[in-house]
This record gives sequence, C-alpha cells and structure tokens, in this order.
Amino acid sequence: MLRHRSSRSDARDDAPFALVEKIRGAMRLAALDPRAVALGLAPGLPLADARARIPELVVYDADPAADLRWLERIADLCDRYTPMVALDPSDGITLDITGCAHLFGGEAGLVADLESRMHRWMQGTTGHLRHAFADTPEGAQALARFQTVPAASEDAALRRLPIAALRLEPETETALRRAGLRTIGDLATRPSAPIAARFGEEATDTLARVLGQADSRIVPRRALPALFFERRFAEPIARTEDALTVIGDLGEEAALVLEERRKGGRRFTARLYRSDGQIRDLSVESGLPLRDPALLVKLFSERVEALADPIDPGFGFDMIRLAVPSLEPMMPTQLQLEGGAVTQEAMAALVDRLSTRLGRDRIHRFAPRDTHIPEQGVLTLPAVDAPTPAVWEKPQTGEPPLRPLHLFDPPQKIEVMAEVPDGPPHRFRWRRTLHDVTRFEGPERIAAEWWKRPEGTGITRDYYRVEDARGHRFWIFRHGLYNSEKREPGWYVHGLFA
Amino acid sequence: MSDEPAFAELVAATNYSFLRGASHPSDMVSEAIALKMAGIGIADRNTVAGVVRAYIALRNAREKAAAEKLPEIPFELVVGARLVFADGTPDIVAYPATRYGWGRLTRLLTLGNLRAQKGDCILHFSDLLEYTEDLLLIVMAQESDGALLYQLRNAAPGRVWLGATMPRQGSDRRRLARLMRLGQASGVPLIATNDALYATPAQRPLHDIVTCIREGTTITQAGRKLAGNAERHLKAPTEMARLFRDCPQAVAETKVLLDRISFRLHHLNYEYPHEPVPKGWKPQRWLQHIVTKAARKRYGTDLPDKVRKLLREEFDLIRNHQYAYYFLTVYDLVRFARDQKPPILCQGRGSAANSIVCFLLGVTSVDPVEHNLLFSRFVSEERKEPPDIDIDFEHERREEVMQHIYHRYGRHRAGIAATVIHYRPRSAVREVGKVLGLSEDITARLGSTVWGSFSSDMEEKRYTEAGLDPANPAIARLKDLVGQILKFPRHLSQHVGGFVLTQDRLDETVPIHNGAMKDRTFIEWDKDDIDALKLMKVDVLALGMLTCIRKAFDLMRDHGLGDNDLEISLSSKDKAVYEML
Repeated sequence: MLRHRSSRSDARDDAPFALVEKIRGAMRLAALDPRAVALGLAPGLPLADARARIPELVVYDADPAADLRWLERIADLCDRYTPMVALDPSDGITLDITGCAHLFGGEAGLVADLESRMHRWMQGTTGHLRHAFADTPEGAQALARFQTVPAASEDAALRRLPIAALRLEPETETALRRAGLRTIGDLATRPSAPIAARFGEEATDTLARVLGQADSRIVPRRALPALFFERRFAEPIARTEDALTVIGDLGEEAALVLEERRKGGRRFTARLYRSDGQIRDLSVESGLPLRDPALLVKLFSERVEALADPIDPGFGFDMIRLAVPSLEPMMPTQLQLEGGAVTQEAMAALVDRLSTRLGRDRIHRFAPRDTHIPEQGVLTLPAVDAPTPAVWEKPQTGEPPLRPLHLFDPPQKIEVMAEVPDGPPHRFRWRRTLHDVTRFEGPERIAAEWWKRPEGTGITRDYYRVEDARGHRFWIFRHGLYNSEKREPGWYVHGLFA
Repeated sequence: MSDEPAFAELVAATNYSFLRGASHPSDMVSEAIALKMAGIGIADRNTVAGVVRAYIALRNAREKAAAEKLPEIPFELVVGARLVFADGTPDIVAYPATRYGWGRLTRLLTLGNLRAQKGDCILHFSDLLEYTEDLLLIVMAQESDGALLYQLRNAAPGRVWLGATMPRQGSDRRRLARLMRLGQASGVPLIATNDALYATPAQRPLHDIVTCIREGTTITQAGRKLAGNAERHLKAPTEMARLFRDCPQAVAETKVLLDRISFRLHHLNYEYPHEPVPKGWKPQRWLQHIVTKAARKRYGTDLPDKVRKLLREEFDLIRNHQYAYYFLTVYDLVRFARDQKPPILCQGRGSAANSIVCFLLGVTSVDPVEHNLLFSRFVSEERKEPPDIDIDFEHERREEVMQHIYHRYGRHRAGIAATVIHYRPRSAVREVGKVLGLSEDITARLGSTVWGSFSSDMEEKRYTEAGLDPANPAIARLKDLVGQILKFPRHLSQHVGGFVLTQDRLDETVPIHNGAMKDRTFIEWDKDDIDALKLMKVDVLALGMLTCIRKAFDLMRDHGLGDNDLEISLSSKDKAVYEML
C-alpha cells in the first residue's frame, strides 16, 4: 500500500498538507500527510473545521483519476513479478504470487526488490509502502491496511484486526460495532447463520474470504495472454536492436510451443521493462494466424521503424516479455514439392508487412456485406482484420448471374420506353445511343431500407436484366413504383453484364 | 364485374403465425373484401388459433352491411392451416372440404402438438399421409420437389394443387414456367397465390420488426434475413391476373378450390356431453324435475306464488335457449364437490348464477326470492351469449375437481381453453426498441412509465414522461411500430380454469396442446373464440377465501360450535359484526 503526494513548488515543505474532496455537500479532508495526522486531523473532517484548527494547512483538491493513473503505473511495475496483478483502489495493489516468489528470493526478497525499485523510480517523492501476505486477497488487503502489531500466525493476526478491516458497507459496519463486535475474531467465534440473518450474507461471506475459509481469487486487471515468454537480464540491455534480437529468440520459443499445439497467433505484444520502472508496449497484427519467428521479427522491426516516438532505452531494459493474447488454429503446412511459395500465405505476409509499416487503416480490402441494396453489398475494411461472416450469394450452376460484373456509381440516368405501371422496358437511350430491348428478365423488386430514412419508407427499385439487339446486357432499374411512389419514375442503368 | 378475374388468396398468414405474419386476421379479411376478392383462405403455421377471429370479422362485416342495407358481400372465408414439417418437406397448406376433413386436420395438428413441448408442433410428412381424407392440399413446392408431388397426388387424388408465387425476385417467370411443366407432368394443377404475410405493403416495416424479433437480431444487422421488398401483401384480382399473365388458369383455379370447400366454421355443431342427464330423460324435463323437487323441499309442497312465477319464467328462458344441459353440467360438478368426504366448498357466481334454478340446484347460496335478483335481466333474449356461471372451489382442492372432469368426460372430450398472451406496452417497447437498436436504458425508462402489466395502450404522454421527444424520428418510429405491434398475439397459454366439454372427440373440433403444467392439455381457442362458435365453457376457478372459510368451519366444529356449510342464513344485522368492521 502506498501513500503519495505530488511535489508542488508552491507548497512549503514543512507545512501540514491535505487533499480535500466534496463529500455529502461539504469539502472534507480526503488524505493527509504525517504532519497533519500528528496535529490531530483525520480524514472526513470538514475543511472549515480543519482550517479553524490548523490555519497553515496546505490544501489541494483530490484527483481520483490521477491517483488511479499512478496506481496503474505502480501495477505496471509489479507486472514483472506476476501477470496476476489487480488494482485495489484507491491505494492498494494485490499480487497473486502463488508459485513465483522463489524466483525473487522468496517473499522477503520480492518485497525487498519491489521496495528498491520503488525507491529508485520515485526519486524525490516520499513514498510509504505497506505490504502483507495472506492466503486470500481479502486477507492480505486487510492485513496490509490494518495490522499494527506482529502476531504469531496469519490467522491470529487477522482475528485481531478491527471490524473495519472487513471493509463492509458503512451501515453494516456500524451495526456490527453497536452489537459489541469489535474485532474480526469477535465475529468469527459467533455462529454464522444468525450473523447472516441479522447483518446480511455479505458480512459472513466477506469474513470467510478474509479468514481464508472461502476460496477467492483476484481478477487480474489485464486478461491473461494465452501464452507468454519472457527473459530477464542481470545487466540491462541498452540497444533497441538487441531488444529485437531477444524478441526474435522469444519468438522461436513461442513458435515451438505453437507448432506443438497446432496453433498460431494473430496478435503479438512485446513488453519492454526498463530498469527504472518505465514500460513500453509494442504490438503487431497479422491477417492470418502466424508463428514464423523470422516473420515476427520483421513485423516488429517494421513497427519500431514506423514509431512516431522512438523507443528510449534509458538505462536499459532488464526484462522483455512476448505475449500471444489469443491462439487460433493453424495446421502445419505441407510445402509444395516443386517449390514456390504458398500464395495465400505470401499474400498475407505482404499485407501484414504493409499494414504494420503504413498503418492498419491504410491498407484495405473488400468484404461482403449482408444487405439487399446492390451498391452497399461491399465495403472496405482494414486488410489485416479477420474476414466478415457475410458471404455473397453464389450463383447457382446453370443459372444466369443475377448481378452484373460492373456497377456504375452513381447509376446513370437513361430515357426509357416502358409499359405502365410496372412493365418491362422496350427501348432505352443511354449515352446518346438507342438500344432496343430484345430480351429481358425481371423485375427484381428491391425496396429501400426504411429504417435508414428519417421520414417515409424510401423509393423502391425494379431491376431488369435486359439484352439489346447487339447482344449487350444491361442491368437497369426503374426508380420508384408508378403512381404510388412517383408520378413519373426515372430509369437508370446500374451495371453491365459481360 | 364480368371482365374482372375471380381470385381468392388461399395462402394467407395472420399474426397467429407468431412473429411471421404481420396483420390481424380481421385486417386480412377486411382488406380482402376491399380488394373484391372472391374469398380468402386463412392458414397459419400449424395452428388454427386465428381462424375464429377472421370468422368473427367476416360475420361483423356482413352484419354491418345488412344493417346499412348494402348488398350482401360476395365473399367466402375458408379456414385451414399451413402445415410446416420438421423433416424438410416443403410447407403444405391444408383446407378441410367438409366437417369430417376439419376433424382430420385438427387431429393431425393435435398429434404434432402433443409430440412437442408447449408451443411447438412436430409434424412429419408421413403423418399427413394418414390424415389426408377430405383435405384439399396446396403444396408450396420448389421445382425440385417432383417426387413429393407424385406421392401426394397418389395419396390424395384430385385434391392436390401446386402453389405458385410471383414474388418479384428477378427470375419469377422462368420459375413459373418450370412449375407449369412440373404441374403438367404430374397432372397437378397450378394455383396462384401471393403467400401473403400481411394485408398491405404498409406493414413491411412491422414485418421486418417481427422478423428481427424472431431471429434475435437488430434491424441494421439483419441484412438479407429480411425480405427484400414489400410484395407479400394481399393483391387485387386484376394485379394477380397481370402477374400470372403466363398462366391465367392458375388464377382461375383459386375459385375452383374455393368452391370445393363446403366446410364453414359455423358447421362446428356443438353437442353437450350426455353424462349429466340420466338415460330416458330429456334434459329440460330432468332439470325441471330436480329443481321442482328441491323447491318443494325448501318452500313446502305448496310453492309460494313468487317462487312459482320465477320458476316458470326461468324454465321458459332455459327452454328457449336450450340451456338445460349447461345448468345440468354445472350442477353435476357442484354435486361432485358436495359429495366428497369432506365436501369441497364451492360457490357459483356470474350473471346466470343469480337465478332461482341455480339456488335450488345448490350452485349458489343466495336466495333470489329473498334478495329480489332477476335472472332474466342478465340472460336476456337480445344478448345471444351463453349463460355465464363461474364456480369457485377451495383453491387447495380444485385439482380434485379438475381430475374428476378428466375422469368423467375423458381427456379426449375435456380441455382447458387457451388464453392468448398479447404484446403489452412494456414488452412491445422493449422488443421493438431492441430491434431498432435503442439502448436498454431508453427502453427501460419508457417501460417504467407504464404502470402494471395490464394497460394495453402506449400513449404519447408516456414518451414525454420518459423525457423523450416524440418528434425525434427514432422515437416517432418506435412509437409508430409499438402502436402497431400492441395487441399482437405472442403465444398461447392456458386459461386459469375454463373447461370445454364435448359429446364427441374434442380434438376433432379444435387442436389440443400440451400445457406447461404436467398432465394439463389445452385447446387453442380462447374464450372469445369459444363464445363465437357457441361451445360450452365451464369455469372451474380456485378461490383462497373458500379454503379460509373451510378452515374456519373446521375450527368451529372443533370448538363445539356446530357444523356449518355455505347454506346458513346469516343475519345481516348482527351488531357485533358491524362493530368489528
């Protein structure tokens, strides 16, 4: 646990200091420095009272968002110990170090390492760090916040904590205190059923979790990647090129595991831990599942080159982690006997490289869209995105295609002689040439998407596939139903068949 | 008139094809009349739940025309069902030609219903082959379904048609030509239809909405799950003739099929079950016999004039309306309850319950002579509704009575009526809002302005109450569509206790469904439908207060205050009681 204050130039160093917050309509003290505590102030006191008592009190507005950002950065720092890191706002961080403390010389070693890093990292600011270990997150949180004297065992220490350590709703807490239950031990010795009936299930549930009688896990602030590989360095490495080499090495490790599982990844994230606690993330994406380390390094170096603000190694990186957030099936590929690349993959690799270099929004491809409106049947997407589920209708074998190869955008107006009200066209003039319709099929009636029109239902189109005397085929439509939608519907040619 | 082609739309769905049809049965009928069709055939998906509504709509239209001295409407309503199969067979629309055929259809549907969970119907093509007698069948086949067509033609020779549509999907004429070839090859005539799902093109947005609700998607994501156009509405005979230019005989065939159907819904002659009347007795005589006997017992052998007069009046009324069976059936139930050890308390109520006949039969405990109640005031000659008696039983023991009914009349002759669950403002706003892509908090806010679940309209002020601007296009659209979908049926449920009893098999009158409760079956018509068709319904209801009274009586007996039942004559002038109140 950590308390901090940002150093401000205008604050007198020796003056007591407090952060204030508007609570229940009044400005009240939210956090205090040790000097202010020593003068008898306490959080929750109205600011006016505090000012009356300590006129020289220096006051700033509390900034919960900034506190949270600060907490996130400390959590980043803790990421090196375990990926299971959870925030415990406003001032705590919980780590699940099951099975990984020995890497840092046991629990004590881990704390020592963290303290020295914090110290280095927060040069100049005063920090106050409290820690505790327990079987459950709630237990550790209670101990870290409320333990004052050491106890023989974890359980004994927990039982000695005040009820407040359960962090229940204020009403429940007051009710428990009024009932004469002052410590967790008081509560734990009572039978749980009456407690639950009187003070709510929450009280007994929390108690069980704090005492480790109920299983409880932390929810890590980031989803755990499906796979990750990391390397630590006794001597920090200071060059970006070296970091890329390490990413390549980690990529090789990853490739082995991925191949074994017949999986590939579409996103890879490299996280560079600077020795002073700063963290830099690099991500690359690919259109098809991927596991080739050489390709991976290529993508990462494209990424590094394309960065707007280059990587600053500072005093060097002392840890690099490569993560694959999610796995996708990827079968081993059979190389062709006569040589030559597998074209789809080569294409995908090109798309990946271009998208990484130029930016994912600069390389597009066409994708089908599920709609009846012909000109909206296609849209462009960033090329590295996964394919959309919609598919174009496949023409039935033996049937003539219902859609032309070429669409005009916008459709081109024509003059038409046609039967009223909804008969086929007989003859039309397009680009100053007269075409006599010899054969036609239709209409295919396509109504407008009414939900996109603020008023009315929109204009319906009647599409005809027609063939003129010279054998050219056109896709033309009448825009509007005769009389009911338009008095004189216009005609357009929307596309050409081969 | 003569140059106008005769056409009847014979494949018309209503909103009883839940979440597929987008018009009320009554709207379909009135639109068809307005279009001067020769008739309409209502066929919903595996159900006949909506047909009575259509029947009522036509009857009302006829009565209105008669009242205004307009010429009679030359229009026929035929009713059937669109059989949707679980085995991939194309849909087949079945119309019973006769009363017997109707029974075959309802039994076929019952078979499918009882095979499935509540609300579903599982039919196979082989089932239909067992029940084809007197059914006229329209196969909504593709060009590739030739084999099926041959099989069906052999099973029902001369009673199979091939349904052809012109949905304006581009290749209509080519498709029609192929169907014509198929029809010629198999000797099955083509019949023109528009496979209508709604009355007018204006219902397309609503149809898109219900499609989205059915598919669980939103309007912007539904894509080609929605229909591409608004063509599946009822079309005028001239327009159908124009569409079927290549095959005019298909249009003419609709009249042929229509004329072959002699069955009309009012042919469902209701027959009361015979059990309540002993052999050798006429119901009216038997009723008079037991009522007079009871009267003598109560008022002495020499009946007072008032009673005599009242009895004569009521007997006349009952004879004129042939209600004797009804009273006897109710009496039968009440007697059963009274004869139990210990007896089940019961109490009749409703308009007809105020009669001296009911009092003497023990159905009610209120003496109409003493309280000057007039039975004839409620069942009058003008109101052609059947008498209405609800019987309340102790709620803890009603199940005994229900099981008695099943036991006495048999499950094939007794069924609980349905209740149609409609869209209510809250559910309508929630579901339509979801489809239109409005966020949950907006629909929740709107829904919360509706108090209770029973208000059935969604007024404009609700929208302003929720802080939404009715002039906003998205809100205006929501308001419009919610207004349209309100009162749409959502699904069928069972009535609390309305029993329909018949002399013959019930499932030859109306299809039967599995209820959500074990051992309960219900028919797919609700009380309005039952009234319209003049079927008899007895309401077997549960009343907690009767259980309460029963327990009070038990306590009184235990404390030596004597045996009591509901027939005690209470003094309404007991001072102590008033003071307690």
